Amino acid sequence: MTARSAGPVGARGLPTIVLVARHEVRMRMRSRVFVGGTIVMTVLVVIGIVAASLLAGRTTPVRVGFSGDSQALERSFSATAKALGVNVSLSDISDVTAGTAQVTAGTLDVLVTGSSSAPTAVAKTAIPANIESALSLAAEAARLSDAGLSPAAIASAMALVPVQLLQPPSAKDNENLFASLALGIVLWIALGQYGNMVAQGVVEEKATRIMEIMLATIRPSRLLAGKVIGIGLVGLLQLTIVGAAALVAVRVTNVASIPALGVGSILADIFWFLLGFLFYATAYAAVASLVSRQEEVQSTVAPISVLQIAGYLLMYAAIPNPSGPLATVCSLLPPFSPIVMAVRMAASDVPLWQVALAIALTLASIAGLTWLAGRIYSNAALHLGTRVKFMKAFRG
Amino acid sequence: MMGVVEKGKPAERGATEESGEGADTNGGARVLEVAGISKRYGDLVALDNLAFEVHAGELFGFVGRNGAGKTTTMRIALGVLAPDAGVVRWLGVPLTFEARRRIGYMPEERGLYPKMHVAEQLAYLGELHGMTGGEARDSALGWLDRFGLADRRDAELQALSLGNQQRVQLAAALVFGPDVLVLDEPFAGLDPVAVDVMAGVLRERADAGVPVIFSSHELELVERLCDRVGIIDRGKLLACGTVGELRAGGQERRWVDVPGARANWDPGVPGVRLEQADGTRRLFELDAGIDDQALLKAALATGPVREFERVEPTLGEIFRSVIDGAAG
Repeated sequence: MTARSAGPVGARGLPTIVLVARHEVRMRMRSRVFVGGTIVMTVLVVIGIVAASLLAGRTTPVRVGFSGDSQALERSFSATAKALGVNVSLSDISDVTAGTAQVTAGTLDVLVTGSSSAPTAVAKTAIPANIESALSLAAEAARLSDAGLSPAAIASAMALVPVQLLQPPSAKDNENLFASLALGIVLWIALGQYGNMVAQGVVEEKATRIMEIMLATIRPSRLLAGKVIGIGLVGLLQLTIVGAAALVAVRVTNVASIPALGVGSILADIFWFLLGFLFYATAYAAVASLVSRQEEVQSTVAPISVLQIAGYLLMYAAIPNPSGPLATVCSLLPPFSPIVMAVRMAASDVPLWQVALAIALTLASIAGLTWLAGRIYSNAALHLGTRVKFMKAFRG
Repeated sequence: MMGVVEKGKPAERGATEESGEGADTNGGARVLEVAGISKRYGDLVALDNLAFEVHAGELFGFVGRNGAGKTTTMRIALGVLAPDAGVVRWLGVPLTFEARRRIGYMPEERGLYPKMHVAEQLAYLGELHGMTGGEARDSALGWLDRFGLADRRDAELQALSLGNQQRVQLAAALVFGPDVLVLDEPFAGLDPVAVDVMAGVLRERADAGVPVIFSSHELELVERLCDRVGIIDRGKLLACGTVGELRAGGQERRWVDVPGARANWDPGVPGVRLEQADGTRRLFELDAGIDDQALLKAALATGPVREFERVEPTLGEIFRSVIDGAAG
């Protein structure tokens, strides 16, 4: 007899949570859903980044056409517009009528006519911000030049008022905002996807009746935790793949500079994703154990999905003012903090105590949810057929 | 003898040794004791102060009508359900979660992962019960071999026939070398060959010192296989003991063949009634306490007796009379 089989079988094997998690990882990675889901998420995120870059207006400059004498203004207008922070693309228009027609058709944003010292701007419904100022300044410079001033004197006369900022924003701030928005979308899609995966896994175990053997073998809370952890690990792998695609998309669209997404920011986002996942997956698992059929899962998990969508909307509301009262409060509430706090931390410097409080509250609520879920899970897990009422499952 | 398993045989390793060794060390204390458990579902009394014991080395047959409480009893023993009152003891102490993990369980609702490969699934369950990966794999393959499923080890469970899925389900209960076996209708839906294989395995496990309790509606099989039988109805244990013990106190019957007797011959012994006639053979039913020798003497007085045979009631007959007695 070999030494390996000599002793009684005890706790020599791996801990049950590890075994369940490993089982989940193996089974998920083998499934077509994993491969298909990864592709779909990658496409969605790339589309999201491209959309964000379009919304930011960085790739759609204001199209300005100059006709006749006004074409002399093009150089100084271009320089002034740039100084005012407007991205413009210029074109020469030979025929005013044709140019007007282009403005009407929407293929040209602004048509400049008249002389260089007294130009007229033609726009469809409104003139884009700062275009009028840039054009006025260019015309003023032309008039000064006509009056005989030297280019140096003109430059001096036309110089913009210097602005002194007491707390100048760092160059990366704006880029961080896009980065955090992109990550917020990833987090949201990921939480929904993996939460539903957990819910469906729970119902599958009920429907295939494996649950009774599992409950006779390991504690419900361990089965639940192993499932949540296993699917979480699969999710991390998937997110890594999607994240790599997102970095490539960011680089191509140039919506943000890659260094703006620092290592610290990425680690913080992963940390918050994990906390959010534990929170939502546990809630999904508990609720899903109340039903026995896959068709019933969606309606049962709806209240949790609503919380998640609320978190998503609050994240958008928090972005313009990441240190405001709405963002601050929401980032401390466990259902929302994984999303809102992640975005706040990316977009601004959040006081350490707020981060610590949010983490503590989220961890405490995860512990509470796990207890509640374990209770509901073991009471409802063997109940097949009709949906179990929440309070009945809670009382046992 | 079936119970003696060659320990060097790789197919049996892990599935056989622990129980055998445990039987040696714990001796007679290895009793699964169901002590006065009760369970209600609302107004329905599922179990009413149910009590019985299953000893090491014993095959215990649990019989009863549908809804009698067999499954509820087994679920409570496995900790899947909580009793309202009472306790289930093993080795003299109430079952703990860790002790329950050493029970091999085949639930009434069969269930395994349909998309998992057969051997992988058994190995996973073995590991969940505390085996190392290698042991679990060896044991899984050993049991698949035993049940004639060695060639299906890498098939998905859902690709197997229902009978073969059932064999895998039993292997799932056996794979980790359990201390106790609790099987809810393990023979339902099996072909005669599979029944023989499974009966052999259960006998072997019992002989290795494992208390085995199983429920079944196949009363002939229970009678043939079990050391003791418990009859349950409406949550109450109506009778419990060896089939011989259950027969004691029941109706006594004798086949008597007296070819020379008249067609309407009556032995004239009080407490003896004619139940059935088959040609010149007659089956008499004797009330409790009636001496069959009086019947024999009466028969001999009529003519030469070619046959005088004691008829033992089958378990099925005992079962019906016990259930009818409780209802009446």
